[in-house]
Amino acid sequence: MATDIIQAISTNLLSPAVLFFGLGLIAALLKSDLKFPEALYVTLTIYLLAALGFKGGVAISEAGIATVFLPAVAAMALGAVIPLWIYPLLRFGGRLRPVDAAAVAAHYGSVSAVTFITATNYLKGINEPYENYATAFLAVMESPAIVVGVVLGKMSLGPQPGIFGGSLRKVLHEALLGRSVFLLFGTLVAGALCGKAGMDRVEPFFVGPFQGVLALFLLEMGLVAGRRLEDLKKVGPFLVAFAIVLPLLHGFLGVVVGKYAGLSVGGTTLMGVLAASASYIAAPAAMRLSLPDANPALYLTPSLAVTFPFNVGIGIPIYYAFARYLVS
Amino acid sequence: MTTHAVKLVTIICEALARKPLQQLLDEVGAHGYILFTVEGDGRQGRRTADIREFANIQVEVIVAPAVAEQLLLRLEREFFPKFAMVAHESDVRVLRRDKF
Repeated sequence: MATDIIQAISTNLLSPAVLFFGLGLIAALLKSDLKFPEALYVTLTIYLLAALGFKGGVAISEAGIATVFLPAVAAMALGAVIPLWIYPLLRFGGRLRPVDAAAVAAHYGSVSAVTFITATNYLKGINEPYENYATAFLAVMESPAIVVGVVLGKMSLGPQPGIFGGSLRKVLHEALLGRSVFLLFGTLVAGALCGKAGMDRVEPFFVGPFQGVLALFLLEMGLVAGRRLEDLKKVGPFLVAFAIVLPLLHGFLGVVVGKYAGLSVGGTTLMGVLAASASYIAAPAAMRLSLPDANPALYLTPSLAVTFPFNVGIGIPIYYAFARYLVS
Repeated sequence: MTTHAVKLVTIICEALARKPLQQLLDEVGAHGYILFTVEGDGRQGRRTADIREFANIQVEVIVAPAVAEQLLLRLEREFFPKFAMVAHESDVRVLRRDKF
């Protein structure tokens, strides 16, 4: 298995998308003035999410909602329970303040769409088939952990007066109608309604350029992640170790869940990737709104500067090796 | 031409403070504001503005002196402990006092 893993990692590291990501990291570390305009970042995000959602929706229309239902529920449950052991681990093992532990827990239960997309790209590169409807798991897995994390944090803080106190409504709105979840759900539904005939009409735009767009986007994400590397000093060794070890454990757990949900090796890998990935856009936004007392350096830096690059470069092929080992 | 003395309150803060800040502006009775994305460096680190969520915003609002006082008071009490933020007021003169 060890040689399998090393082989898989080197294949991954030499794919265009991951090389572009590395290039971005290096550019940021060397303080190059390479910079994407913010509008391009947003455009690329929308393209990737819409293409992914639409393709996933078409796959749902072909597989039938009954096939997707069980693994989707499993993915959602996994997202919701992950914070429940991260919270005590950080609280008592890492000696974090309760509100910080809750915020980190929300990030690691939630998911990174970019990591997921990179993983689908990896599977395509090695000709490993996967369930295209796995996008539905991505869509349902972003929010539950955010809600659970915010509830844990609010419980630890007690009732708070004023703008930051009160209702779960704001949290739910932020978690369920955030732009990535909204776009993914919307395009999943559109894809499911159109089916294969609809796919034929948008394929040249949404499928053909996808890998090139992803490579460009990962260049930008390399820059974004690389610029946060200097913040690692503020985080401390415990959280840095946490940001690598926990994804490995969660990746394994996700693979086990994927296997029992009846997915293929490819689909099981993706479930592992989702469990292992951590949010760095949706979750921080929700935390600043609902748990502003939590320290952003403690949740954003591990997730964006450690876990995300780790998964993109090394984690994904490891979860694939887990999946192959367990499923076949 | 008659002009009236009012206050211009400028708030520079992390972009993720935007929604609660808008709520505060509503609550103290500000009638409108402008907002733009800025980047810079401060005690709490550099904000690169590479992603909208990680940027800084600058909010400028013109209000009556009593409202400005209320606004700054609540910013100090409720926002400063939680967000990276700078706020200052200055004296400005406007033509239409009832607009603000």
